[in-house]
Amino acid sequence: MLRFFRDGLYRDYLILILVTIIAGAAVSSGIAWAVDSYFGDTIQDMIGDNGEYDLILHIRETSEEATLRELERIAQQQYPGAAVAKTISLAGQANYLFGFPQEAKTAATFSRLPSIFNAVPGLSSYTVIVEPSVLIRGVHPSVSDTLQQRFNQIDGVKFAFKDGKNMLIVLESADHSKTVMNEARQILKEYQVLEVRFPMGIDVDVQATGDTVMQLLKQEYPKTELVNVSSAEYGEELDALMKTLVEMRHFLLSYASKVKIQLRAGSNLVVGEQILVQGSSSQALVPGEAAAPDHVVIEILEVTGDQAQGMIVSGSVAAQGGAVTQPGYKYASDNKVGQPVGQVQIENERYRLNYAIEESLRLLTELDELSVEAAVAVERADQVLTTFQEALMQLEVLQVQMQQLNKGLVENGVQSTGEQLIVSLFLNGLLKNIAKGGTETPGEFDLDQLENLDIASMRSSLSNIAEQIGSIQGIDVQAIIDQITDIRDSLPELDDEEIGKSVHLVDNYIAGQVIPGERIQILVEHGPIDEEAVEPLIRSRLKNQYLNLYSIAAGTVNPDTRTEVFRILKEVRATIAGIVSIAVVGIFLMLDHATVFSTLKWFRANQKQRRRGFARLLNPVVLFSAVVGMVILAATYVLSNAAIPYISAMTVAAIGLGLGIVIGTFSEKFSPVRADEIMAGLALGLSNTQIMHEIVIPDSRPGLLNLLNRTKQKF
Amino acid sequence: MRQLLQIRGLRKQYGKHMAVDGVDLNVNRGEIVVIMGPSGCGKSTMIRCINRLTEPDAGEILLDGKSILNLDDQALREFRRTVGFVFQQFNLIARLSVLDNVMFHLVMAGIPRVQAEARARNALARVGLAGSEHKNPGSLSGGEQQRVGIARALASNPQLMLWDEPTASLDPILIGEVLDVMEELVQTTNTTSIIVTHEVGFALKVADRIILMDKGKIVEEGSPKAIFADPKSEVGRKYRRLIAS
Repeated sequence: MLRFFRDGLYRDYLILILVTIIAGAAVSSGIAWAVDSYFGDTIQDMIGDNGEYDLILHIRETSEEATLRELERIAQQQYPGAAVAKTISLAGQANYLFGFPQEAKTAATFSRLPSIFNAVPGLSSYTVIVEPSVLIRGVHPSVSDTLQQRFNQIDGVKFAFKDGKNMLIVLESADHSKTVMNEARQILKEYQVLEVRFPMGIDVDVQATGDTVMQLLKQEYPKTELVNVSSAEYGEELDALMKTLVEMRHFLLSYASKVKIQLRAGSNLVVGEQILVQGSSSQALVPGEAAAPDHVVIEILEVTGDQAQGMIVSGSVAAQGGAVTQPGYKYASDNKVGQPVGQVQIENERYRLNYAIEESLRLLTELDELSVEAAVAVERADQVLTTFQEALMQLEVLQVQMQQLNKGLVENGVQSTGEQLIVSLFLNGLLKNIAKGGTETPGEFDLDQLENLDIASMRSSLSNIAEQIGSIQGIDVQAIIDQITDIRDSLPELDDEEIGKSVHLVDNYIAGQVIPGERIQILVEHGPIDEEAVEPLIRSRLKNQYLNLYSIAAGTVNPDTRTEVFRILKEVRATIAGIVSIAVVGIFLMLDHATVFSTLKWFRANQKQRRRGFARLLNPVVLFSAVVGMVILAATYVLSNAAIPYISAMTVAAIGLGLGIVIGTFSEKFSPVRADEIMAGLALGLSNTQIMHEIVIPDSRPGLLNLLNRTKQKF
Repeated sequence: MRQLLQIRGLRKQYGKHMAVDGVDLNVNRGEIVVIMGPSGCGKSTMIRCINRLTEPDAGEILLDGKSILNLDDQALREFRRTVGFVFQQFNLIARLSVLDNVMFHLVMAGIPRVQAEARARNALARVGLAGSEHKNPGSLSGGEQQRVGIARALASNPQLMLWDEPTASLDPILIGEVLDVMEELVQTTNTTSIIVTHEVGFALKVADRIILMDKGKIVEEGSPKAIFADPKSEVGRKYRRLIAS
């Protein structure tokens, strides 16, 4: 194959390779530069010149006019000389740039940004872009004050201020950027936050355990200063949110209808699968037929033996009074009713709770009325008792008088008159009626029994009852009724379908998060402490093999937003250059080098030599094209300053190799040669170089090869 | 008559197929040798081996007593410039005009352009294509294209002309015009020619010697009259029957 190049063609081909590399690098760099330049200009338009603006205010587009008025008011009244400008709008949000006048660019101003702009209508959030500055991300709250003081003391620093979890170090000039960043890094290295994280579900006495951990660390690293900063608010919002979500999920599931399924043998239900029950639908479930929209869909949450539990995700059983037992069927993916799975028992706890509340309210109302009526009844009973007592006393007087009368009658005997006799008979009868069960002896009926009644005790009992009724009436039943009514009204008005969706929503969110367990954070000064070396000791001391120890930086140094954006743009430029390099080299290989490979293949096919062994399997032209592809792509990639993330130099070389193999293998498809013309050239005594210059290249696809050949082509 | 070409034990094999199997042949200067035989008998392979368009596997080819199989690249190219080759498929350069097709190899060989053009025009006139110099080969008929091919071969004033079935890809109407030109040329020039053809009538007219090949070997050779009057080989007898019919 090398013989083909022997008569001077190798020079031409080397020039072609060089030109391919240079052109490839130029095209790649050019396109990448153009993109870089475009984005750079766009960003310049977006955030203004260096140092011109300090904030980007993100505003809801609907409030734009009012926003502008308020920002102009702030600029005119509070900060005369401040600059306000509108920049691009994105996703329903308008963005305004705000630049403080030089004299207002102080720590005090930037520390109270929320209060300055809290009256701006529609303000969603803001981004600080003050320049020149150095950004410290993720500053641990336990050390933020200390860091702020220390940063303020660095030469070239105007001031430092906190911006949420970040801290911005504003510089006197951009020239100080590098030195300040280096010094800030040195300062941050002096601090370390060690976090001992326990698995979920373990109760930890943060203070006591923290002291134990600190004691241990102090033994191992006596020169360090340690502070237990577990109570710092760093990250606690997330913990709280996650715990709240877990509780909410638990509540929703408790509040949802309880679905129990007694599975038929061979049902093979799995968690997450859905089944159908008829619910209150008029359409019965028939396997193979389509499910109706008002059929109840249940998602399986748990399967244990022949029992399963689920949750209603569509439909309701409220119409059946909150409790229903119906046969369940599998729910096929094509909305068809599947095979029966067993008996489904649904109990609507929410319905029961509502029922109980309603009954309680009714009871309390009745009780209130009852206490009033009972008080009246007791009062009347008391009056009756008084009347009775008076009547009894009169009866006693009467009894005495009658006894005297009787005695007179008896003593007078026959001397008694008829009138006296009639009175005596009448009185005896009357007394008998009153005394009921008195002696049969006329004039001797017994009032003792009535007198023996414990009127005082009865009155005392009545008094007690009256007091108790009074106590009941003293209870503010109406307040209880009002509160229970409030509870009833405040219960979520969610049906089972909505609960199912809510649970799914919570599950989806929780699935993407790690629910943190208890943790202890120790701030370390004059460290660092090797967490890998200390972790086993802490596990041993706390007798917990599942805890983990992490080392967290007190903050990380980043350049300011503009520098960061331009750094990203630089990466984008390098990535684009890399991608374009691969594409351009592929095109050049296809347009130009494929012609050479095709011609080489033709000559090889017409060579005299017989090929044996490996040479029969591996076409040296393909090997040659692979090497050419690798060399050209590697050189182009390097020259165009390309860098695709996660792609190493070896990978780039491999891509070039692959491109070369593909182009070499299919070169005749990309650039076929006219064999009859080459044959004529050979017969007429032309050299390989002449054949290439006059026959092959002029007939090939337009490209670098064709262009370079123009000066050498005679016909 | 002095020998120009000597071929000894020439062999060429394609896979298991022996295309040329130990051919010995001597050609005298100025002699017109017509090689005939059935398709696939090795005629074209042998003629291509002479100018090494096909590399033989074994044997010896001597031109003026010098081996051409041992020539280096440069010497081989110089040798090829002294041998005219007419292809069955014309093999013209499609992008060049008729005139450029005929003169471009002369220019490549170092002949001044003016001189090369004059020789090309002369060659084109000899094949009856004066006035077609600036036409594109694609606009010509098959016969005309083959005549351009012949003119291209003639333009370098070769000492040996190799004709590889020049009429095989032409329709019968066009064959005549090419044969007429060929006949005219071989009879009016003293160029040694080896012609591979199936045209028996043409062979009878122009050949000094006819060689019959079959299965890669020369099976019979002699003057046209001797060959077709009393053929010794089966191939000869078939050609005789063809003439008789």
